[in-house]
Amino acid sequence: MSIKKISGKAKLVIIDDIDTDQIFHQSLLTMHDPQEIKPHIFGNLEGFESFGKGNHEGEIIVVGKNFGKGSTRQQAVTGFLAHKIKAIVGESFGPIYYSNAVNSGLLLIEAPGISQLPIDNLDALEINIEDAIIVNLDKGNEIKCKSIPKPVLDIMEAGGLLKLGEGM
Amino acid sequence: MKLGEMTGLTIIEKIIKTHSSVSDEEIFPGNIVWINIDLVTARDYAGPQVVDLFQKHYSNSKTFDNGKIIFTPDCYPYGNDPKHAIDQEKIRVFAKEHNIQVTDLGSGIGSHLLFRRGFAKPGDIVFGADSHYNILGALGILGQGAGDVMLAFAMKTGKSWIKIPETVKVILKGSYKWPTTSKDLALFVLKKLHEYEITGQAVEFYGECISELSIEDRVTLCSLITEASGMIGFVPPDEQVAEYYRQFNINLELISADKNAEYCSELIIDIQDLDLQIACPPHPHNVKPIDDVLGTPINSIIIGSCTNGSATDIQDAAKILKNKEVDPDVRLGIVPATREDFISIHNQSAMATILEAGGNIFGVGCSTCAKGQYGLTGGKTAVTLTTGNRNTQGKIGPADVYLASPVVAAATAIQGKIARPKIRDD
Repeated sequence: MSIKKISGKAKLVIIDDIDTDQIFHQSLLTMHDPQEIKPHIFGNLEGFESFGKGNHEGEIIVVGKNFGKGSTRQQAVTGFLAHKIKAIVGESFGPIYYSNAVNSGLLLIEAPGISQLPIDNLDALEINIEDAIIVNLDKGNEIKCKSIPKPVLDIMEAGGLLKLGEGM
Repeated sequence: MKLGEMTGLTIIEKIIKTHSSVSDEEIFPGNIVWINIDLVTARDYAGPQVVDLFQKHYSNSKTFDNGKIIFTPDCYPYGNDPKHAIDQEKIRVFAKEHNIQVTDLGSGIGSHLLFRRGFAKPGDIVFGADSHYNILGALGILGQGAGDVMLAFAMKTGKSWIKIPETVKVILKGSYKWPTTSKDLALFVLKKLHEYEITGQAVEFYGECISELSIEDRVTLCSLITEASGMIGFVPPDEQVAEYYRQFNINLELISADKNAEYCSELIIDIQDLDLQIACPPHPHNVKPIDDVLGTPINSIIIGSCTNGSATDIQDAAKILKNKEVDPDVRLGIVPATREDFISIHNQSAMATILEAGGNIFGVGCSTCAKGQYGLTGGKTAVTLTTGNRNTQGKIGPADVYLASPVVAAATAIQGKIARPKIRDD
């Protein structure tokens, strides 16, 4: 598998400093099953409490600064994978969240300035991985994003870190 | 390569270099390298999923080195709920099968046990299922929180990938006096670093006050880097740390940054005569001088957590509570970080002082950061003040949460509202 271009409808969650407890609350930590985790995503984020119960397949979530800061909570990644979202694009990500996402194959794209770019919910976005550009096809505007480091792409293309470990 | 033979590197760059096989040219911020890990741990949250993933993907495999893995259940220290009890059992069964050490319920917070019991030493790299593993930067240890997938992989291979971070050199200028403590310093530094934007970066702390800080103080200072979305804060190990490790018969080569190390920036933070600080809802970085919120009614107070659960923190509170009474509307809970801290507060009579004042003492472990402990609230009337590190909206309960030092927590417990301590430290 080679990841070159990703497209999907925008879903805006542009709030800075969203903590993993707002993505998946600590009271649910004995849940292991992705399908059980799925409806609880953003369950503790004011204004987005019902997000997890909706259909978000194929969406590209757009977030603000420091998304996923807080606890080392794998479920806060797993839930988005269960929703089959295409990617999360944001100003910046908490370092542990970034690593957890890469390791299980959730694509995160850092795009400083994205929260200032005119985007509405359901706009068609296209991410060109090789050129590191995000295009809003509906608005006709675009923004540079940070390149995805090769080792990160290697892990994602291998199907996640655990697959790599099978041969080590 | 030995530490002394390197040049131009920050502390984290040196630690990464000694744990990888890459060339000097490959050690630069932004580069991703593979590293060998000295110690991998997991706790009762995430640990059971790590076991599941290991068994699913590596079913007939051994771990990379069972002597370099520890399970540290600390989130749900009573194990008194069927789901949690089953999860904890899963860890014990796996550990027995692979002959892995468990610091079981009642031992304490994993990150603290790593330095309290000498499991990790300066210059080591340790990964655990705890976003505050970077508190170990207080002793020059590269501690990192990691999710289930990374930990299962690390238990199999002994390896991880790491993105070499930029390092900010932070110089703390000036000094402060009691009742200001290291928690006020940590909160103030968090506010400054969040404003400065250190997402994903490492920090090295310098300044004349550093040598005056105890190991517990340094842990408190480094414990709030996560809340600024930073990667880790280091206090360069000094003679105090070297002396600390002699009790484990470990002789350290003290790690330090090179004189010509390249920092991405340098920030001076003026802490001269710093006043008491308090983090207000809804974020840890929403830090204000205490005067802004003096008199705010509080009815639930917790002294504990990896930020302020040490015996010295509890003794600080006991000094304020001596011969006083906790306000009848307040529930005061103390959660010692480790068994060693529990024994200390017992031997030094802080425990009796707190109980006589009307406070409660609970079993050791994490406190409000995990749901398995005392201090969670149900309704909108339970306004909390904790010495912990997170006050994210809705985490502890639906009502407001404030973060402050053990000294402020104790003074507030007596008054039932946010208060300054009335007595001197003598």
